[in-house]
Amino acid sequence: MTVGIATAVWGGIVVLFGSGLLGLVYKGFDRKLAAHMQGRIGPPLRQPFYDVTKLMIKENIVPDHAVTWLFNGMPVVSLAAVATILFYLPLGGFAPLFSGYGDLILVLYLLAVPALAMIIGGFAAGSPYATVGAQREMVMLMSYEFPLAITLVSVAWRLATILPGAHTFSLAVIAAHPLWGMVGPLGVIGLVLLLISLLVVTPAELSKIPFDIPEAETEIAGGLLAEYSGRNLAMFYLADAVKMIVMSALVVALFIPYGIAAPLGLAGALGAFIDALFFLVKIFVVIFFTVIVVRVGFARLKVDQVARLFWLPMTAMALLGMIFLALDRIL
Amino acid sequence: MNAINTGFGIWSPVVWTLLFLGVLGIGFWIWGAGRKDYKKNSDQTKPFLAGNEEPDPARLHVSGDHLYWGMTAGLRAYYDRIREWHTGVLSDYFAWFIGVLAVVFIVIGLLR
Repeated sequence: MTVGIATAVWGGIVVLFGSGLLGLVYKGFDRKLAAHMQGRIGPPLRQPFYDVTKLMIKENIVPDHAVTWLFNGMPVVSLAAVATILFYLPLGGFAPLFSGYGDLILVLYLLAVPALAMIIGGFAAGSPYATVGAQREMVMLMSYEFPLAITLVSVAWRLATILPGAHTFSLAVIAAHPLWGMVGPLGVIGLVLLLISLLVVTPAELSKIPFDIPEAETEIAGGLLAEYSGRNLAMFYLADAVKMIVMSALVVALFIPYGIAAPLGLAGALGAFIDALFFLVKIFVVIFFTVIVVRVGFARLKVDQVARLFWLPMTAMALLGMIFLALDRIL
Repeated sequence: MNAINTGFGIWSPVVWTLLFLGVLGIGFWIWGAGRKDYKKNSDQTKPFLAGNEEPDPARLHVSGDHLYWGMTAGLRAYYDRIREWHTGVLSDYFAWFIGVLAVVFIVIGLLR
């Protein structure tokens, strides 16, 4: 599948800026709803926009021992890396803008780049707290990558056994062929286990409680972000907002790619509009249950607990899901 | 545009590189719109250590043990066992490699 230059440019601009704005709106909901759950009023929904605006006019301090070009460059690299994933994801009921140029494996690799940029930025800060935070981020990355990879590959592999010859690692193909109705009872059990695994990985990817150990404000004063301020911190803030959209869009594409326009008998522009709105609802539901509820209800884990959690129970769960999918195919 | 097609998946390094550079450009454009200055050689450029004295940077060397601490502490039972098998004999490592590769091929063969 190819894409015209005009479509690529305009579509790209809409996807980039739309997702950035949407990410900030959802951050506002996150803070507001978390506050209500804790019996607080919370900031206004537009607070994340104020935060970014204020950070852009604050001093951009570079610590004495920092490697300046890495310290300044990594926030932008982080934002750029996470934003490019958007081009390969189905968004708003539409196929990925560049679906013919990248697939699930590329998305899996790109998801690691923002974390790597944060690690490099943390080490480049030359500060003890930032170094500890960067070390923790690295252990986190090594911990959740394995169950994440098992989940993504299992779904694509099972689809490949059903649709031989199709590009089953393409997210457009995966989103167009939800597996739930194409597998037997064992396959459904496998998919449920893989979905749970991905839902647990999501807050870890986003460094949210209980997996916010690289930042851990009350313990290491922001960790790898401790020395960041001004426009550099604004870039990491934006990258975090976009990554929230990316992760939830990935969950939606793999496990809940359904629209409501067709069942309601709606077609054309109205149907596309309704499906786009429904997509926003699905994104919100994923964020609500994987970020907001979890961060209000849980305390922060220690880094060794995270390594154990992802390498033992979560990897076992993802492998079990894969085995169920394999049994579903064999039996 | 130079897309690598495996039959199952596809990706184009050229397109990704162009996209990444484009988005990086937009990122630097937004970043460039922010405030650039700060008070150099003032207290604000000293690393934040909650009021504690900053240690000598030469003493802040981060070793591999430090980097992997969370991993080795979390999976201590596994690492304690695996260290016993870590003989340092090259032929032992080849045997492990071939053994694991054989298991992988058997699993792939069963699933195909």
